[in-house]
Amino acid sequence: MAEPSGPAPIAQASASAPSAPGQAQPATENSPKALPIRDSKPTKPTEDAPASTDGATDKALTPAELKKKAKAEKAARRIREKLEKEGGAVASTTPTPGAGAQARPPPTPKKDATNAGSAQKGPRAPPPRRGSGPLAQTGSVLVEQKKKKDDKKVAVFGHLYGQQRRVTVAGATKEVHPAILALGMQLMDYTICGSSARCVATLIAFKRVIESYTTPIGTSLARHLTTHLSYQITYLSTCRPLSISQGNAIRALKLFIAGIDPSTPEASAKISLCEYIDSFIREKITVADQVIADSAAQKVQDGDVIVTFGGSSIVKHTLLLAHNQGKRFRVSIIDSRPLFEGKSLARDLANSGLDVQYSLVHAITHAVKDATKVFLGAHAMTSNGGLYSRVGTALVAMSAKERASGVEIPVIVCCETIKFTDRVALDSIVVNEIADANELLPMGTPVSLVVRDPADAYVPPPPENKKGGARAPAPESPVVPHKTSSSPLANWHDTPNLQLLNIMYDVTPAEYVDMVITEMGSLPPSAVPIVHRMVTNL
Amino acid sequence: MASTNSDAAVADTKPFDIVATYNELLSSDADLTMPIAAIEALVLLLTQSASSTISETLDLLEKSTAHLKRSIPNPIGLSAGTDLFQRYLITTLQRPGQLGPAGDFKAIRTHLLSNGRLFIRRAKESRDKIASFGRGFIRDGSTILTNGGSRAVAALLQKAADDEGGHSAVRFRVIYVLSSTSQDCNHPNEEPEGMETVRALRSKGVPVATIPESAVAYSLGKADMVIVGAEGVVENGGIVSRMGTYQIGLLAKAIGKPFYVVAESHKFVRLYPLGQYDLPIEQQVVEFKSEEDLAEDCKPQSIADTNGDTSIKLPLCDSVDFTPPRLISALITDSGVLTPSAVSEELIKIWF
Repeated sequence: MAEPSGPAPIAQASASAPSAPGQAQPATENSPKALPIRDSKPTKPTEDAPASTDGATDKALTPAELKKKAKAEKAARRIREKLEKEGGAVASTTPTPGAGAQARPPPTPKKDATNAGSAQKGPRAPPPRRGSGPLAQTGSVLVEQKKKKDDKKVAVFGHLYGQQRRVTVAGATKEVHPAILALGMQLMDYTICGSSARCVATLIAFKRVIESYTTPIGTSLARHLTTHLSYQITYLSTCRPLSISQGNAIRALKLFIAGIDPSTPEASAKISLCEYIDSFIREKITVADQVIADSAAQKVQDGDVIVTFGGSSIVKHTLLLAHNQGKRFRVSIIDSRPLFEGKSLARDLANSGLDVQYSLVHAITHAVKDATKVFLGAHAMTSNGGLYSRVGTALVAMSAKERASGVEIPVIVCCETIKFTDRVALDSIVVNEIADANELLPMGTPVSLVVRDPADAYVPPPPENKKGGARAPAPESPVVPHKTSSSPLANWHDTPNLQLLNIMYDVTPAEYVDMVITEMGSLPPSAVPIVHRMVTNL
Repeated sequence: MASTNSDAAVADTKPFDIVATYNELLSSDADLTMPIAAIEALVLLLTQSASSTISETLDLLEKSTAHLKRSIPNPIGLSAGTDLFQRYLITTLQRPGQLGPAGDFKAIRTHLLSNGRLFIRRAKESRDKIASFGRGFIRDGSTILTNGGSRAVAALLQKAADDEGGHSAVRFRVIYVLSSTSQDCNHPNEEPEGMETVRALRSKGVPVATIPESAVAYSLGKADMVIVGAEGVVENGGIVSRMGTYQIGLLAKAIGKPFYVVAESHKFVRLYPLGQYDLPIEQQVVEFKSEEDLAEDCKPQSIADTNGDTSIKLPLCDSVDFTPPRLISALITDSGVLTPSAVSEELIKIWF
């Protein structure tokens, strides 16, 4: 989002850069009133998606508007600097070096400001000549606003806030394909969630993009398609940061595109590309999942109590396969807020006749007590063997390993090699993803979750009671989203000293993982870099 | 359909018994390890079979391997050999050129057989290689604790002992843990395994102390390191070895002594056990019995003997345990001294 206005924020002081779009806004409107309006928006708890309205104003800006915004900001900053230097006394006599370049006599800033698109500023223009009072006010408002915004960012994770997530399709460049726009929406509201699912969805959307792509005259497909795709990729990454699997798939696709002979006719090149995407999905994900489920199911034995966290699709495949093979075991699903990915897993497994116990992550010690194995999905496996997965995974893995009763429980990770990365993760702080903190509020969950949750939370209990037999999940009831509108956290934006952190992932160190099951076989976590090297060289 | 035909054909024309051949090979050559015996048996099978196509060969191989694995109580060691041979066969056949799928099958077959023999010869030499790699670990004045009847360990220790009086006089002592379980097995009068090595070392002037397994913890304080052999090295770098190795590993870890494993690289198995009870073999080590059960056991002895299935159960003296990688300091193999985590790397290199 900050990208289109690139030059201006870069020129800006680096401290204010991260929150440029947010703080720029009052400057455009350029009246002290703008501040209360802006602040009041997120605080309305009754609104379905406060973030969306808030963001909409952000996103609705066209590049031209952004430019104006940047200009206004620049002007405001200059004046602030001037004020600091001269104590707001003689404005015109000693222009700051920066301003000197543009050498504007007193009327000029006024004109600049009018250009900057603030309609209210025009009529009020004369006063600045005398005292520059309102402008000075703008400056202080800016500072105040910035402080306020920064307050809401958890300091250690400050570097992760960088880009505001896109909330609507508005403001997308014209190159972005409708399929990508749709996918972006699905990604941002977690309709498509999970590393593999996102990767497959992205590739399928890219197929649509490629199908409707025509090479412009004067360029070749091999050269131009990559740039065309990069618009799509940029758009997707503003909806939600790309997953490792998406990144790996995109890298492979780009490599393939670059390898296309420029003399190939466009139609056949497109066909070969689509075929490549299909076979990529088949090889790296569909078949890989089957192979992994096959070998992981062999590790399930009669009488096992298997603990899993969240809702990994591959763990689901594994457990269903093991169940279909006639193995008798129990499954204990650990879930957590705010996504509740384990609910649909619990429902699907219970519907298939497995014994399922569902509990939230704070009940981990009870769940681990009689566990015999832990199966985990992965978002990514890092080169030092770390497991990068949904936040809470590390807690489950570590509880299993450090269980007080002595015998260690093997922690098994099921992961396709497409999720391997050459990055190294020593902690969960340097690389991570921060989601909208409003999701932590009972009310603030994104629209999609509000729509989805009742289906997941209210419908399952009866079928589970019937089909899951005696082992109906007892702790289900507290999970039901509260419909009360008065959450104590509701106006956290306005509460001083209160910060909310909605972090998406964590890293489980390699020593807590016993085994990684991939389509290339079972490995210790230390073998991840070797396999990754092998897979990428192929 | 085709498989049953070929099966029948094999049974009719060649009454070649892979299991008997394997056992014969093992008993005839004391230096032969299980994987190598398996490979040699398979090579013999191929020379005697009349297969004329690649798929027929592979099919025959697969069946014989499965049969062999079924008939041997502990197929972990030999499966390393059969897997390796099968893998080698497939990669050779996939390679383009004269020996690839397009080439003359006769040429492929002779190539395979000659290479199979070459492989066996090389594998036998690997013990010397290990000894030269591992010799550096045995330093002057050190005391080494070892167990079992591993030939690789014996070769290593004897190599170090041979050097004594030569250019690098290594003076070391050995604490040899003698297993008590092997005595009360099939041959009650036989001396415990490892006595041969003990005698050989003593004849070379190496002071050897023999202790029972129960004295390991007591004696470990006097040892500087532990060196053991292995039946199979699994994917996560752990080892499958003679029963009792795991507890020595645990004790060594607790006391802080380095624990080295000596194993040929053809003993690397594509197997990933998660614990003691995750091995693909059936062992009757822990058996709960009451007075009633014991009385019942005495009665149907004759019935059990006639039942063919009982042979598949592993007798206690041949039972194995799994030593997890975290207890192992290093693996001394013919491809170098490896950390446990490097084993999977080596295995991946072989397999892909």
